[in-house]
Parts: sequence; C-alpha cells; structure tokens
Amino acid sequence: MKKTYILIGIAGFVMAFSMCHKAADFPEIGYDERMSGGEATVLDESSKAFTLAISGLSARDARVHTIGDQIFDQTFVAPPSSIFAGLGPVYNNVSCVNCHRNDGEGIPTAGFSNAGLLFRISQPGTDAHGGPLAVPGYGGQLQDQAVLGTTPEATINIAYTDVPVTYPDGTVVTLRKPNYTLQNMYLPITGSYMLSPRLAPPMVGLGLLENVPEQTILSFVDAGDTNGDGITGKANYVYDVYTKKQEIGKFGLKANTPTLLTQIATAYQQDMGVTSYVQPVESAYGQQQMHGVAGGTQPELADSLLNFVLYYVKTLAVPARRDVTDADVKTGQLIFNQINCSGCHRPNMRTGVDVTLPQISNQRIQPFTDLLLHDMGDGLADNRPDFLATGNEWRTQPLWGIGLLQKTTGTAYYLHDGRARTLEEAILWHNGEAKKSKQAFMQLSSSERAKLLKFLGSL
Amino acid sequence: MKNTIFIWALGIATITSSCHKATQSPGTTESFATLEQTVISDFANNTALPQYANMVSAAVALNSAVTTLHSSTTDANLQSAQAAWKTLRTAWEQCEGYLIGPVEASDYDPNTDTWPTDKTQLDSLLASNNALQAADIAALPQSLRGYHPLEYMLFGVGGSRTAASLTAKEKQYMVSLAADMLNNNIQPLYQSWVSAPTNYAQQVITAGNGSAAYAKKLDFFLDITGDNGMAGICGEVGSEKMYEPFIKKDSTITESPYSDNTLLDFKNNIIGAQNVYLGLNGGKGIKDLVASQNKSLDNKIKAQFTAAINAFDNITQRYELAIFNQRVQVQQLMDQLTALKDILENDLTDFLKQYVKD
Repeated sequence: MKKTYILIGIAGFVMAFSMCHKAADFPEIGYDERMSGGEATVLDESSKAFTLAISGLSARDARVHTIGDQIFDQTFVAPPSSIFAGLGPVYNNVSCVNCHRNDGEGIPTAGFSNAGLLFRISQPGTDAHGGPLAVPGYGGQLQDQAVLGTTPEATINIAYTDVPVTYPDGTVVTLRKPNYTLQNMYLPITGSYMLSPRLAPPMVGLGLLENVPEQTILSFVDAGDTNGDGITGKANYVYDVYTKKQEIGKFGLKANTPTLLTQIATAYQQDMGVTSYVQPVESAYGQQQMHGVAGGTQPELADSLLNFVLYYVKTLAVPARRDVTDADVKTGQLIFNQINCSGCHRPNMRTGVDVTLPQISNQRIQPFTDLLLHDMGDGLADNRPDFLATGNEWRTQPLWGIGLLQKTTGTAYYLHDGRARTLEEAILWHNGEAKKSKQAFMQLSSSERAKLLKFLGSL
Repeated sequence: MKNTIFIWALGIATITSSCHKATQSPGTTESFATLEQTVISDFANNTALPQYANMVSAAVALNSAVTTLHSSTTDANLQSAQAAWKTLRTAWEQCEGYLIGPVEASDYDPNTDTWPTDKTQLDSLLASNNALQAADIAALPQSLRGYHPLEYMLFGVGGSRTAASLTAKEKQYMVSLAADMLNNNIQPLYQSWVSAPTNYAQQVITAGNGSAAYAKKLDFFLDITGDNGMAGICGEVGSEKMYEPFIKKDSTITESPYSDNTLLDFKNNIIGAQNVYLGLNGGKGIKDLVASQNKSLDNKIKAQFTAAINAFDNITQRYELAIFNQRVQVQQLMDQLTALKDILENDLTDFLKQYVKD
C-alpha cells in the first residue's frame, strides 16, 4: 500500500505542476526574443533605456563604468583649466552626450549647442592609407564651432525640400530632401570638395558589435549576388591610426573605424578638439588660424579617462524588445523577413569569445545589421568615398533600440543625416540594393505596412 | 483507505494552492485607479506647475536685483543680487527632483546649469568686443550661460566679490545672463508645461489616456521614480556630485563653490524628490498610493527621506571643507542617500509594477 500512497502522492505533485503549466509562448528557435543583446540585455523602456550598464559587473567594474559615464556626460572647457580642459580650438560640440542624447542619437542641426550633425569633408583622391584626402586648412571634418577668439571653419546651412511619394494604394507620404551648403568659410577652398553628413548614432550594443568576428561579417557577403536577391554587401577595410594596420571597419556610418577605442578617441579629437594617447594631435593642428595651438604633444584627456569611457561604452546594455507576443508585431516580423529587409538587417548572429567580459562574450544577439556596406541608391548618396565605401554605400544601421528613439531623443530622426522623421520615411528613402524590399513594402496594404512599422517599434 | 483519501485531498490541496496566484485585492481596484489619477493630476497641478512658477518669479526677482546692481553698484545691492541668485537656485534644485519632459528634451537644464564654468573663455569674452546683450548670451557655449557663470560674477572666487570690483562689462554680462535665464529658458520651460504645442502638464495628466509622452500610467510613475526622477537625483547627488570631490579630496570639482551653496544645492535636490513623493500644496503624492496598499513600505520610504535630509545638518562646514574635515559625516550622508536611492529604485519600483496596472 505504501507504494500506492507514494505513487498517488507523486501523481498529485505532477498534476499540481502540470495543471499550472501555462501554454508558454516560447519562440520556436528556443530563445527569448526580447533578449536582443543576450546576457547584455536590460529590461527598461524609459528614456534612459540606452544608458544602463550590463548586469553582473563587479563593484570595481561598476565604478569604472560610472566614471566613464560621468566623463561621457562631462562638458569640456577651453584650456588652460584645472579641470576638464581641452575643448577646441575648433569643435562640433562640447560633450559626448550633447550629441548622443541619453546615449541615443543626435538632432540634425549643426553649429548649435544641441547640434548632433557633423560633416566630413575631403577632396577627390585618397590619402597614403587609402582613406579620404584631407582638404588643406580643414582636415577631414568641418568644425563649425570654435572657442572665443577663433573662427569656426564654416557655417552649415541646411535646407529641405519636400518630395512626395505615392503608394500604389494612393496614400501619399512627403519626404524631405536635404540640401547642405557652406557659408562663412574661414579660408577659401581651391578646387572641388565633397561633404558627408553624419548624425550621431545611438550607443546601443557597441561592445557586442565590436565582438562580432570578422569571419561572421564576411560570411554575410554575397559578392556575385548568387541568390539573386539584389543584395551583395561589402566589408570596409580601413586604416587604424592607433594600430597602424588595415582592419575591417565596424563603426561609423560608413564602417570607416575598426575599434571602439579609435572611434571614441577620434570623436574626442575631431568633434570636441580633445586630444588623447590614441589621437594626440589637435584636429586644427597645422591650420592657418591655429598658429597659437600648442604642438599637440600633451594629450588633453588622461589615458585612464579615455579607457574608462571605452569601458563605459562597451558595457552599455541593449534594451529588451517589447510586445514580442503581440499578434501584429509577429505578423510585422514575418513581413520584415518576407520582403527581405532581413537580407541586410540581419536578425541573428553570435558574438566572439571575450574572456574579460562574459556578458558580451559568445552571445546570441539580434542587432538587425550585417555590418556591411550596401549601395543605398542615389537619393541617399553622399558621393564621398571613405576607404572602400563608395559615395553610394552606407553601413547597415543596426535596428536594435530603434523603437525607443522617440523616448530617448525627445524627437526621433532616422537615417545617416536625420532627414527621415518617421520610420516609414526612412524605409521609403531606401534604394539601390534595398530597392526590391522598398518596392515590396510599397506594395503592401496599409494595414500590413502598419504591422511592419509596429514590429520595428518593438525593437 | 482513509489515508488514500487523505493523500488525494492533499494532492488537490496542493494543486489548488500551488495554482494560487498572489492576487492582491487591496480595497477596491476602482478606487486605487482613481487614486492613481489623482496623484498624477496633483503632481502636475500642485507640485510641478507651482514649482516651475516659483522659478519664474525667482528669476524675475533676480533679473530686477541684477539690473538694480547694474545701475547702482553698491555692496548692499550686490548682496541683494546674491540672495536672489540663491533663492532661484533653491527653486531650481528642487525642480531637479523631476527631470522629465521639456526641461531635458528642450535643453533648459544644460542651457542654464552646465558645469564647470569655462573661465578661459569667460576671460576672453569679457576682453572681447562682444556687446553682451541677452541675444549674444544665447549664442554662447552652454558653459558661459546660466547659473554658474552668474554665480562666478556675483560671488567671485571664495565669495570674495565686492561691488567696487565689478567692471562695466561684467555688470552687462550679469544683466544679460539673468535675462537669458529668464526669457530664453525659465519662462519657456514654464510655458512648455502650460501651453501648446507641448503642454506637458496635460501630457502628464492624460498619462495612459491618450498622452503622447506616457502610453500607460505606469510609464509616468516609473519615469518620476527612476533615473529621471527621485532615484536618479538621489544617485546623482550621493554617488557622483558628493562622492567625486570626497573620494578624490578635490575641492575644485564641487557644484557651486563661489556661493558656498554646494551643500544646500544637494539638500534641495533631495527635498525636490521628497516633494514628488509626499505631494505639495495639499495635493496627493505617490505616498498616498503606497500607503493605501503597503503602509510599512510607505513608512520606510518616508523615514529614509527624513533620515537623508536630516543627515545634511550634521555637516557644519561648507562642502569644500567638509570633504577634508568632516569625512565621517559626509560618508554617513552618502550612505543615507544610497539607501534612499536603493529603496526608491527597488522597493518602490517593484511596488508600482505590482499595483499600477494601467
């Protein structure tokens, strides 16, 4: 009898648990789709969603992250100063966070304190390392602000013209096409020059992307378009000023920077005029009006602080997706795949091993990018080559976190120069390798389009 | 067989009990939802709007005090202007208890409260032929606008400013700094809460009910509690603004060193957070939500606010000295602030997620 009791008892327990079993909606692949950044995901959907640290940092590491956070937010001032000196003499903005608002993106204005748009400049040809050829007196980037007593290199005028687009179903969406012109140039430029606008991109998941192996990125290339989807893709190989080597480019809107260290140090140097051990020379060094600038041999940003900012950026968490079980969102995701948005905005990949940071090591991530360059058509072209990137090519923008931009920025803007005011406008600007997908999008019914956009909003 | 029945009964009991969800039925759900709406509306109408209106009147008073100082440069008028600066500073620091909406989205915070002051550029500005009208100030970098450059002008290093030492240019700069704060920042900040197109008070009040800013009421409560709100300011004060000068033993990186206002700035930040929790001007606060369901949590939060705010009074020297001379008291205060932040960030946030369902 005892056995019976035990059996009945066990049965009772089994029933107890099985009756409580909710028909759990596990995604078929066996992963929780909300966890865009794997272990480096954070469940937060507030305006601060991009600013949070990955979990599991030790007290010491959390302290390094916090100091990096403070320096990221810190306004720099003109030298000499006992604290946070080094701004200028010419610059685009005074702190990281003034452009990367709430660690998100910038606002597409230039020359103001809230400006998040900057312009690269070069003349035809390439430099010794295959990169853009600097314009004498200007370098490779226009600094449109300056400390008092110094003249900004130029003023950038931004004007938009309306471009209506009509769907087959008769719906009209009006895009705005930007026109950029330079005024008040401190020095005339002889010969032709090329401009490339770059809106400060969100800081989402950069540590994870740095950790994506080169082979993984290359595996996405379809050079001869063997599958006939119109998408080829190309990796950018660029010269790293710090390692002095050609490396695969991952960061920057044209994938022209291989590492976060170089990306951050170059932003300090070019955007703020703050030098460091990685970029020790003032952006203005050698220019005509910079005769007063000290030789640029003393880094203005302490080595430790640059390293702390690097650690901060690497250890920022990716916000989790929302509404993944919503029926419309799921349909939108199917459409996203069906019309091959996922051909470039790749949903899944795995990061490489990094024994120093388990949270970003060997993680299954959903960045929705292939980190490759693609021809995006004439409408989006800047017509300014950048290493292997042609004037028509841009790196696929990761889409994780894109549904939160409205909250983090206040007003969201999309694409490399913020010309798109909605995700729909951004899609309609796609062309070149994305032409088939864009056309397929336009053929969708308005309710299908809404579902696709709702899916994007869940990222 | 009796035993068998017993086991079956046990099994069924287990089934039922293990399926039991901790369904809270506190009071009536409807009244809690009504209370939520009251707390939200009262935050907008009784806390945020009157506090922002306070800032406007304090900024008007500062403008007039600085203008008087400009036309009649006496030490008495300098002292009035200094007092007016401190009054405005108090109003602003308390409003930092809720850095939500336009104050950040439209950059009114960095336009007026950027730190540190860029002294190198400030010197070149005063030496330049800039007319220093209010419109000129608005075009300057943020480190040359707002509270801290004005503080530097009014108080000088170590509070050493005298009326006789003020030059005509410095006086013009002060007048325009005060005007830039009032006309280009504080007045527009208030307007953005009360009128179109932003009308942020309305966006708050309609949270979960058509608001563009807050799709759910919970979004609002979490915003006002988290990094943009109460927990955020406790963390900023306790773990950053107090901690950095303390741990580095560096008195050059404190908040308001010229006016000796640093510690009061910090305290007013925490009072600002407490205002959100308790409610102001007879309005209901988040405390009413908490107390209706979990009186012990409410007591805990209120006690921790009180403990943190009282701990400020143990520091009797200016903060720039206290980091050297009163390290025990400073550490105790930071510990209180950290404890407060943890309660808000964990206990209160969990409470809100558990009870606020719309």
